[in-house]
Amino acid sequence: MKQWFVLFNKEWLEILRSYRIIWLPIGFIVLGASQPIATFFMPDILASAGNMPEGAVIRIPTPQPFEVMAGALSQFGVIGLLLVALSGMGAISGEKASGTAAMVLVKPVSHVSFVTAKWAALLLLAVLSFAAGYGAAWYYTASLFDSVGWGEVVQSALLFALWLGFVGTLALLFSSLLRSAAAATFGALATAAVLSIASSSLPFEQSWNPGRLSGLAAESLNAGAASPGDGQGAVWLTVIVTATAMLAALAASARSLKRMPSND
Amino acid sequence: MALLTVDRLTKRFEGTLAVDGISFAIGEGRCVALLGPNGAGKTTTIRMLTGLLQPSSGAIRLEGMKPGQDLRAWIGYLPQTPAFYGWMTGREFLVYAGRLCGLSAKEAYARSDELLARVGIGAAGKRRISGYSGGMKQRLGLAQALIHRPKLLILDEPVSALDPIGRREVMTLLGELKSETTVLFSTHVLHDAEELCDDVLIMSAGRLAEGGSLSGIREANRQPMMSLETEGDSRSKEWLEGWLKRLPAGFEAASATPAGARLIVRDLETARRTVIRELADADVRVTKLEVGYTTLEDLFLKAVAHS
Ligand SMILES: Nc1ncnc2c1ncn2[C@@H]1O[C@H](COP(=O)(O)OP(=O)(O)OP(=O)(O)O)[C@@H](O)[C@H]1O
Ligand SMILES: [Mg+2]
Repeated sequence: MKQWFVLFNKEWLEILRSYRIIWLPIGFIVLGASQPIATFFMPDILASAGNMPEGAVIRIPTPQPFEVMAGALSQFGVIGLLLVALSGMGAISGEKASGTAAMVLVKPVSHVSFVTAKWAALLLLAVLSFAAGYGAAWYYTASLFDSVGWGEVVQSALLFALWLGFVGTLALLFSSLLRSAAAATFGALATAAVLSIASSSLPFEQSWNPGRLSGLAAESLNAGAASPGDGQGAVWLTVIVTATAMLAALAASARSLKRMPSND
Repeated sequence: MALLTVDRLTKRFEGTLAVDGISFAIGEGRCVALLGPNGAGKTTTIRMLTGLLQPSSGAIRLEGMKPGQDLRAWIGYLPQTPAFYGWMTGREFLVYAGRLCGLSAKEAYARSDELLARVGIGAAGKRRISGYSGGMKQRLGLAQALIHRPKLLILDEPVSALDPIGRREVMTLLGELKSETTVLFSTHVLHDAEELCDDVLIMSAGRLAEGGSLSGIREANRQPMMSLETEGDSRSKEWLEGWLKRLPAGFEAASATPAGARLIVRDLETARRTVIRELADADVRVTKLEVGYTTLEDLFLKAVAHS
């Protein structure tokens, strides 16, 4: 355990020294704040664009606050995922290629600790950034529209954080399996996209599909609606499957690293 | 007593047999050189010993190690090209390495400062590693290999990246270390091995060509030898070529030098007489005629050339 914290501290120090601790939260805050702000000023923006025919009346219904928050979530679901995948890019493949993984793993270091310490640091960064961004979205939604209840926000945040964590874990897994950091990022994002599209477009029940999580998060913002995921399988099942998949991905990473601590 | 025993260790990469069933033992407290030309399989062997590479077959045993115990805790390893986190300082890396090996924070700091000074980069300890020269990285690599006082220190070409002064300093340091722990280092320079080591293992094309104590090998392979050199003019050259083709009984060509040859002979006295007579008869422009015994260099060249 002591060793695990030594590894984790190193990962966290690297996140601090590479300024990822600054730019990732900023990225999320910009994404999160821009959604309510842009939605609020959209009528003015359209009006001042000026190429409307004379006398045209623009009528945009004011969105519900939970719809604005859901809009922010969908931003996080695309650009946010990309940012997270990029920040973990090469986490393992880079160390294998440069030889630093070999330098560390010839010491009596557990391969599982090596992988999980990286994982924990990466996820902590992602979750902190997401929390900052979602907090910004919440704040501006409440100031410009109306407030959204604590309960709904926290529930949706937890579901979405799990989805982010799942994609971060995939990025780490691909980073240990593939040599190229770009290929690993692409692999993680492509897998996430396929799962997500499958969950929303295929007609059968998919309670096992982690791709549902972002949709569930958005639904759970709406206090008026029935409980999220109704009629499409239980939420807890999705959560358990996702968590199990993350554990399996970590085990696979550690195993692959044990078999090949360096590229040659 | 053997600290490390290696039994029929083999590594096959797609297509190439990098290490071909080598067996040897390293005694506790010995200093052993793993000698061989480029591509002989030294790095591959070492990487298998450190657990970085899975052997295709064969066994590696450390004496006194209980089953299930982590072999890595006993080994300190300096790779051929050590890699570091450029954003750390040299001292931070050493502390990190020490703590990973189970030292407490206090011990790790004390040991790091001690080792930084010992390998001669004490002043650079507070600088980022990304600004280190190749030689400084090599020294830092040596320090991190020593951090947990390993029972077996494995160094892959520790001095080949250093300038002559650095080389001398690190050789001196290795000379001190060999009295503290068991050392295995690879090199392709015979001179380094002769200077430091008790034992040598000579590898060539994945096989162990020769192995044993330095003095034992020297003794066992001591043969009468004759070395001949000419001015290199065309007539002398012609004569030498012709003569090497029809060598008299008791002579055996060992290796060719730019303007001469080294010969293994059966009996020094007769050989000397024969050669001097022939040289006089043919009026060869001799510059050097040396009569003596083969050195380790001859053995090394022979072992390497056989592949
Ligand atoms: N990952 C690999 N894949 C395929 N072949 C390899 C690999 N690593 C080494 N080899 C081959 O194994 C042989 C031995 O290589 P090795 O690096 O062990 O030599 P070496 O004795 O350390 O040489 P040098 O003095 O140049 O460092 C070479 O023919 C090399 O091409
Ligand atoms: Mg080598």
